[in-house]
Amino acid sequence: MKYILQKLGFYLVAFWAALTVNFFLPRLLPGNPVDIMLSRLAQRGPVSPEAREAVELMLGTNTDAPLVVQYWQYLGKLFSFDLGTSVAYFPASVTDIIGQTLPWTIGLIGIATVISFVIGVTLGTLAGWKRGSWLDNLIPVTTMLQSVPYFWLALILLFVLGGMWQIFPINGGDNVYETNPGWGWDFIGSVIYYGTLPALTIVISSVGGWMLGMRNMMVSTLSDDYILTAEAKGLRPMRIMTTYAARNAVLPSVAGFAISLGFVVAGSIVTEAVFSYPGIGSALLNAVGNNDYSLMQGLFLVITLSVLGANLLVDLLYSFIDPRTRARS
Amino acid sequence: MTATTQDPGVAAASARSSRPKRALPPLTPKLLIGLVIAGSIILFGILGPFFVGDPRAVNNVGLAGPAEGYLLGTTQTGQDVFAQLAYATRGSLTVGLIVGVLTLFLSAFFGIVGAYFGGWLDESFSLFSNVMLVIPGLPLVIIISSYVPEKSLLLVAVVLSITGWAGSARVLRGFTLSVRNRDYVAAARVSGERPLRILGVEILPNLVPLLASQVVFAVIFAILGEAGLSFLGLGAADSFTWGTMLYFAQNGLALRLGAWWWFVPPGLLIALFGAALALINFSIDEIINPRLRSQTRASRKTWKISKSELHAAKESVL
Amino acid sequence: MSSMSSGSKRLGLAAAAMLSIATLTLTGCAGGGGASNEGDGSESTSVTVFNGATGTIAENFNPFSSTALQPTLGVIFESLFWYNAASDEPPTPLLAESFEWNEGGTELTITTREGVQWSDGEPFTANDVAFTFNLVNETPELNTTGLAATAEATDDTTVVLTFEENSFMQEPSVLGNRGIVPEHIWQDVADPITEINSNPVGTGPFKVSTFSAQSYLLEKNDLYWEEGKPAIDEVRYISLDSADAATGALLAGDVDWMSSFLPGLEQILADNETLSYVNTPALTASIFTCSNEELGCEGPQTDPAVRQAIYQGIDREQLNALAGGGFAGTASPTLVLPERDSEWIVDPENSETPTNANVEEASRILEEAGWVEGSDGIREKDGERLSLGIQTVTGYSDFISLNDAMSQQLREVGIELNPTAITYNEWINNLNIGQFQLTLESIGLQPSNNPYYSYEKWYNSENTTPVGESALNNNTGRYSNPVVDEALAVARATNDEDVQKEQYGIIQDEIVEDMPYIPIYINSLLTEFNTARATGWPTNEDPYALAATWKSWDNGIVLKNITPAE
Repeated sequence: MKYILQKLGFYLVAFWAALTVNFFLPRLLPGNPVDIMLSRLAQRGPVSPEAREAVELMLGTNTDAPLVVQYWQYLGKLFSFDLGTSVAYFPASVTDIIGQTLPWTIGLIGIATVISFVIGVTLGTLAGWKRGSWLDNLIPVTTMLQSVPYFWLALILLFVLGGMWQIFPINGGDNVYETNPGWGWDFIGSVIYYGTLPALTIVISSVGGWMLGMRNMMVSTLSDDYILTAEAKGLRPMRIMTTYAARNAVLPSVAGFAISLGFVVAGSIVTEAVFSYPGIGSALLNAVGNNDYSLMQGLFLVITLSVLGANLLVDLLYSFIDPRTRARS
Repeated sequence: MTATTQDPGVAAASARSSRPKRALPPLTPKLLIGLVIAGSIILFGILGPFFVGDPRAVNNVGLAGPAEGYLLGTTQTGQDVFAQLAYATRGSLTVGLIVGVLTLFLSAFFGIVGAYFGGWLDESFSLFSNVMLVIPGLPLVIIISSYVPEKSLLLVAVVLSITGWAGSARVLRGFTLSVRNRDYVAAARVSGERPLRILGVEILPNLVPLLASQVVFAVIFAILGEAGLSFLGLGAADSFTWGTMLYFAQNGLALRLGAWWWFVPPGLLIALFGAALALINFSIDEIINPRLRSQTRASRKTWKISKSELHAAKESVL
Repeated sequence: MSSMSSGSKRLGLAAAAMLSIATLTLTGCAGGGGASNEGDGSESTSVTVFNGATGTIAENFNPFSSTALQPTLGVIFESLFWYNAASDEPPTPLLAESFEWNEGGTELTITTREGVQWSDGEPFTANDVAFTFNLVNETPELNTTGLAATAEATDDTTVVLTFEENSFMQEPSVLGNRGIVPEHIWQDVADPITEINSNPVGTGPFKVSTFSAQSYLLEKNDLYWEEGKPAIDEVRYISLDSADAATGALLAGDVDWMSSFLPGLEQILADNETLSYVNTPALTASIFTCSNEELGCEGPQTDPAVRQAIYQGIDREQLNALAGGGFAGTASPTLVLPERDSEWIVDPENSETPTNANVEEASRILEEAGWVEGSDGIREKDGERLSLGIQTVTGYSDFISLNDAMSQQLREVGIELNPTAITYNEWINNLNIGQFQLTLESIGLQPSNNPYYSYEKWYNSENTTPVGESALNNNTGRYSNPVVDEALAVARATNDEDVQKEQYGIIQDEIVEDMPYIPIYINSLLTEFNTARATGWPTNEDPYALAATWKSWDNGIVLKNITPAE
C-alpha cells in the first residue's frame, strides 16, 4: 500500500511538472495568434489596418498580465476544467474541439495499437519459442516493414488500394455524403469501412516492432535456468511457453505498450495527415500552425494525462505481475 | 547465503556472464546480408556526394524518367534525383548516427543507473524520464528551431534524441529492476562486490541485447522520425535527407504523376537500411550470448533425460 | 505462486479475446466495404466544395466573426454590392440598388433592394442595413474595417451613413465587404462576438441544412430574391488535409469544385472528360526587401541598385516553367495586375516585367553602384559581400523551387542568395518585425480594383514601423518616400478617378525606381471543376466571378449561377 501511495505521489509531481512545461512551451513559440489570424483573413479578402485592434480585442490577447499571474490563472482554470477558448476555431471552446476530435483518434489509433500489440506479442512468443522456424525467419520481413517510413507506405497503399483499385475510400473518417453522425448502423459501418485502411497501415508498420522485441526477450528468457528446471520437471511445453517464459519475457513489451498507448494521441498526427482523418492530430497541427495556445495546452493536457495514466497503470501492473519490482533492499 | 552459493545454476550464470565471449561472430547469412546492405548504403552516403553534380542545380527538363545522364531521372524543377539521393543518404545517416549515440548514453544513464541504485536517485531519474516522455516532441522541435535561424540536421538530430531517449530508458529501467533483484546479484552484493562492478559485470551483460536493440531502434527511429517531421514540413527543409526528398516528391504529387523514380528510392533506402540494421541486430545478440545460439529448442530436446534417470533424480531429492 | 499463475491466465485470456475481437473487426470492415458508398440516385443536384479547410470543422456562421466558416460571407449572407475581383467592371448591386456620395465624402446614401426576404420569411428593409452598420460601429471587436460611421434608415429603402471625415476610400469595404444581418434576430443576440449563429437566417442563395465536424451541407434558399436562382439544390463543404488528398478526391468524383495548385495538372486531368480547370492569376509573387536603412534594415538589399539588379537578373520564363508550372501570368513593376487593371498603369513603359534575364543590364547597374566582382564570382563593395538571405515557408514548395532557381540565375550577375525555409509562424513574424533581408510573399487581392488600396498598404510610410516592431502585415518593406505619401493623400481625398490616376502615375514612377517589392510573376490561381453534376463554372472567356473556392462573396455568385448538368 505504501508502495502504491509512493507511486501516486510521484505521478502527481510528474503531472505538475508536465503542466508547467505545457504552460511555458507554447508561449515560447515565435509569432502570435493575431498576426496569423490577420494573414489568414487576408487570404480570404482584404484586411484593413484597423483589423488588428479588432482581432486583438476579440481574442482578448492584448493582456499585459505578467507570466506568473497567467500561470496561476492557468492552473486555477485547469482544476475547474476550463481549458479556455480556441483561437483557430474561435469562439469554440477547447473542450469542444477535443470532444469532437478525440473519439476519432482513440477509436482508430487506439484499436490499431492494441491489435498490433496483440498480434505482435503472440507471433513474437511463438517465434522466440521455436527459433529457426519459418515464423522466426519471417522476422526480418516484418522488421523491414517496420523500417519503411510510415507515411511512405501509407501513401503507396492509399494510392494503390484507394486510387487505382478503389477498394477503400481515400479520405475522411466516415461517409459524409450519405450518413450523419449517430448510433445508426450505416454511420458505424461507414466509420469502420473508412477506418480500415488507416488501421491496416498502422498495424503493418508497427507489428514488426512488437514481434521482434517479444522474440528477443523470449529467447533471452528461455535460457534462464528456471526454464530448464521446468523442462526437466517434464512440464508441458505449452505451459512452459505461456506461464513460465512468455509471462516473464513480456514485461518490457508491456512497458512499451503503455508508452505507445500514451502516445496514441501524439502519434496520430502523420496518420491523420495522410488520410485526412478528423482526429486530434490534425487539430494539434492546426493549433501549432495558428499559435493557438489554449488549444495546444488542452491537447498537451490530454497527451500528458494519457501518457502518465498509462505509465501509472504499468507500474501498478508490474508490481502485480512481478513482485520483485516491489521489493526494495 | 550458503544456499545461494550452492545453487549451481546461479553460480554458472554469474560465471558465464562475467566472461562474455567477445569473439567475432560467425558469418551467418543474415549477418552477411545485413552488413553488405548497410555497408553499401553507408559507403554510398560517404562517397556518393563526391561523384555527383550539384543536387540543387535546376534545368528545364522537369520530371524526366531515368535515362542517360540522369540515373534516376529528375524532379519537378529538373534537379538530378540521383545526386539528391547521394546527399540525402549522407544527411539521414548523420542524423541516425547522432541520435543513436546520444540515445544510448542518455537512456543507459537514466534507465540502468537509476534503477540499479534505487532510492531517491531512481525516483528523480524516473521522474525526469517521465517528464521527458510527456513533453510533446513536435512543438519542442518548432520552439528550439525558432531560436536557431537555420534549421540544421544537427538540430533535428539533437531534438529527436532529446524527445526520444526517455522511452528506451523506461524499458531499460523496467528490466534492470527485475534483474537487480535476482538471486545472483544479491549474492554478489552480499559477497562484497563494489556496486559499479556489480552493475558492469553482473547486470549490464544481461541488458546488452536489450541495449543493442534499443540503439538499433533509436537509429531507425531517428531516420524515420526525421522523415516524419519532414513530411509534416517541420524538418530541416534546407538540407538533403531521405525525409526532405520524400517531402518534396509528395508535394510535387510524384506518385500521381507516375514519377516513381522520385518517390520510391528514398523510402526504399530507408526501409533497406532499417532492415539491414535489424539483421545485424539479430547477430549481435547471438554474439553476446553464445549460449542462446546453441540452446535452441531443437538442441535442448536432445538433453531429455530418460524416465528412469528422472525417477532416480526425484528419489535422490526426496 | 498460485495467484501469479491465475493472473497470467487472465492476461492470456484477455489477449485471446482481444485477438478474436481484432480479427472480427477486420473481417467486419472488409464485409461492410462493398455495401456502402456510391449511389447518387436522388433527383436533386448536389455539388461538393473543398475550400482549403483542413482538420476538424468548428461551427461558426457569424458573419461578423473573423473565424466564420467561409461560405458565411456571400453564400449565406450577402453584401450590398459585389466587387468582381476577376474583371474590371463596376460593382454589381445585390441587396442595394444604388449609392451616392456627398461632395465631401462624409455622407453615403444607399438605396436598398425591394422585395427581398430573409430565409425565415421576414421582409428585408433598410432598417436591417442600418442596424448592421451601427452594430459594427458600436462593437470594436467586430470592426475589422475601421468603420467610423453612424447609419440611419430614412425610409424602408433608404439608408444614410454619416462618416466623421472624408471616407471615399471606405466605399468598397462598406458596400462590398459587409454581410447584412436581420435586425429581428440579431437585436436579441446577447454577445455578437462569440455567437456562432448555428441556424443562420440570411438573404443569400443557400441556407444551412446539416452540420458535422467533418462536413456541412447547405441547401437552396427557396425565398431567394433573384428569379430562378439558385439552380442547384445542395452544396456540401468538406475538409481535406493535403493537395494529394484533394487530387484523389477530385479524381474519384468526390469533389466538384476546388482551388489547389496541382503540379502536372494537365496530366492528372487528362483521362477525365468531366474534369476541367481555369487559371486566373491574381496574386503577385514578389521578393519583399527590408529596404530602409533608416528604419533599421541591414544588408546589401538596402541599396536600390541591388534591388534593380535582382529585378533585371532573374529569368522569369524559366521560373514560370520550373516553379510556376507554366501557369503564371506576367506581372507589372507597378504591382497592379497588367491585364485587369491596364487602365491604371500611367506610363506604358512600366506595364510589364522583363521576361528573360538581362544579365548585362543587371551587371551594369551593379558596376555603377560600386559592386565589383570578387574572387569567388560574388560581387563586393567596401568589404561587404553581395550575399543575401531569402526566406520562405517550409510548406510552400513552389516558392522553395523559386529560391533554388533564382539562386542559380543570380549567381550569373554576382549575387549570392542563401535560401532558408522556416515555419509559417516564424516567417510571418519575421516579415512583420522586419527580421529579413529578402523574403517571398504574395501581393494579395484588395477591396476593389483601384490601386489605391495596394499603394496605401505597401508604400505609405504611415503604415510601416522600425525594425523590431510589427508592421501589421502592411508596409513590411519599410518603404518610406514623401513623394508617395503626398500623392496618396491627394488620391484619398477624391473619388474622381482622373485625379487619382494622375497621382498613381507619380507613385508608379517612384516605386519602379526604388523597387522595395520586386515582382516575379503573377501566381497561377488554379481552380478545378467537375462538370458531371453541374456546369456553368467561370471560365477565362466569361470571368463572371473569381473562381477560387476560398474567395468569399464571389463564391455566392458562382454557386447561384451554376446549373445542373444535363
